[in-house]
Amino acid sequence: MATFVDRYPDEAAVVKACLTVSFTALAIGAFFGLVQALHRTDYFRFISSVDYYTVLTGHGVLLALVFTIFFLVGLFTWAVVQSLERPMPDIRLTWAWFGLTTTGAVFAAVAILAGLIPSIDMSADVLYTFYAPLQAHPLFYIGLAMFIVGTWLAGADWFLAYRDWRGDNPDERIPLQTFMVLTTMLMWYLSTLGVAVSVVVFLIPWSFGLVETVNPLLTRTLFWYFGHPVVYFWLMPAYLMWYTVLPKLAGGRLFSDPLARVVFVLFLLLSTPVGIHHQYLDPGIAEGFKFIAMTNTMFLLLPSLLTAFTVVASVEHGARQRGGKGYIKWLGALPWRDPAFTGMALAGAMFAAGGFSGMINAGMNINYLIHNTLWVPGHFHLTVGTAVALTMMAGSYWLVPQLTGKRLYSRPIGLLQVVMWFVGMVFMSNAMHRAGLVGIPRRTAEPQYQSFDFNAVIGTVGELQAQIALGGTLLFLSVVLFVFNILLSAIEDPIENPVDDSLPAPLSGASGSPRVLDDLRLWTAIAVVLVILAYTLPLASIVGDAGWFGNVPGVPVWVSANVEALGDLLREVVA
Amino acid sequence: MTLSRAQLLVLVAFSIPVAIELRVLFGFFGIDLPLVAVVAFEAVFLLLIAVAYMVGAEPKSATKH
Repeated sequence: MATFVDRYPDEAAVVKACLTVSFTALAIGAFFGLVQALHRTDYFRFISSVDYYTVLTGHGVLLALVFTIFFLVGLFTWAVVQSLERPMPDIRLTWAWFGLTTTGAVFAAVAILAGLIPSIDMSADVLYTFYAPLQAHPLFYIGLAMFIVGTWLAGADWFLAYRDWRGDNPDERIPLQTFMVLTTMLMWYLSTLGVAVSVVVFLIPWSFGLVETVNPLLTRTLFWYFGHPVVYFWLMPAYLMWYTVLPKLAGGRLFSDPLARVVFVLFLLLSTPVGIHHQYLDPGIAEGFKFIAMTNTMFLLLPSLLTAFTVVASVEHGARQRGGKGYIKWLGALPWRDPAFTGMALAGAMFAAGGFSGMINAGMNINYLIHNTLWVPGHFHLTVGTAVALTMMAGSYWLVPQLTGKRLYSRPIGLLQVVMWFVGMVFMSNAMHRAGLVGIPRRTAEPQYQSFDFNAVIGTVGELQAQIALGGTLLFLSVVLFVFNILLSAIEDPIENPVDDSLPAPLSGASGSPRVLDDLRLWTAIAVVLVILAYTLPLASIVGDAGWFGNVPGVPVWVSANVEALGDLLREVVA
Repeated sequence: MTLSRAQLLVLVAFSIPVAIELRVLFGFFGIDLPLVAVVAFEAVFLLLIAVAYMVGAEPKSATKH
């Protein structure tokens, strides 16, 4: 039986290239994470607290944008090709978007990493949330713009493949994996308009000095217009694997194809008009608009709860097919020996915890308690840091053999790796949440205020620091094991059938569901209307208050020569 | 009940959040559980899992053929 690489060798080469970039970013970003964990907790410091922000930016950008999105574009290419059962329309276009996206990512990474080398007058220590007034080197913004345009072209490539397929299959329902890819990309097109406008119209001219000032609230709002939907851009590849691969690994079939489609439609509709919930403490946005964003955000719980039901039902079905019985005992019949299954299952379990802490973030009043504290990284290390990252690593144990035609080097090492990630994240995120509750801030190398001690409600702050350092170390070791396992898998000898890559049909297929679910134009139109309703008035108000280009000169983080001038600028911004 | 090594590993992993959150749980009732009590709980839990694994393990001769 031929596997993916035998059927589509050109596409497999592109997917492998995407995963190579993704895992390289993962390795560097994970090392930066270890440095941060040990530095902040004061266990081991070998960089200055100034360089901490370079490392922090590198960690955020390399993991949250490069690792996740390169995995996504690889996975989505695989999903489109194998679910439409045809190669990409023009492999040159596929390589073109890969080249553009990679070049953009390298530009951004160079601008960030140059901050560690004092002799190079270039830096981009603006953190992952790269809005004004912190100003990065122009190369950083140019790289980001190329990266985003690259993902747009990737989406265009998948839509072209779908168009060709539709021409040959006018009456067929869209295959589920392709449906997931297309709805996710429609959401991405809609949401990246904000960051594209922010980067191209405001940040690039501003970083080049073509315009002198910027409106920080406008760039913040445009960033968060994109900054929350990007969360679902990370999450949708994980959902794709939970819905279509995890049931198969469990020995069963997807419980309901129509429910999966409903979930992806809901994410297309609801992901974008919620970004203002990241700005509850921003002055200049009326409370009413924030309330609307909160309400929209709470609606997003619906597709997540639908997913919890559908995926668990599918996994239970698999367990019962394997002889599992009883209310709880069926869990014992699941294939825990398989690192791909165990990793995805553990990731899903932790996503539940991340969802609950996310409800705290989303609540307007209770958000004030944890805003800008360690609670927030505690939350997103459960969501993007585990639900997404662990699913991607676990999924790789099933996906990579299809792309290489070689067996996985070691399943026991894979199992140890995913369990180690789970344990490390339990230690680290639990401590971060608890530290956030007592007000310990995020985004700082020196979290302690002078003449003030944080008092943990339960235990001590020292215990929380120890948990963070231990958790961060385990997470780094887990990534080392992952990279080691994948690298050694790459040098195995090819075999005929390295993995069973067939995907069984759902228990409840698409044929019985309303065809309107596949009407992508309708859902896109509704999503656009919702965005217009949520954002027109807030944006008009922000521009009305301070103008398009505002009156803030900015704080260039790469000007290293004149500290006094930098101080003046800071005072001006604060004033 | 027989436990495989993979199940043993997953059970051990799941015991850690339970142990960590034990203090929070007791905290809800105004009881300040000391760290050493959590460590003792985890040790007992691990011991029980190990016993369950060894009791349920098939004899070596049964796996040879």
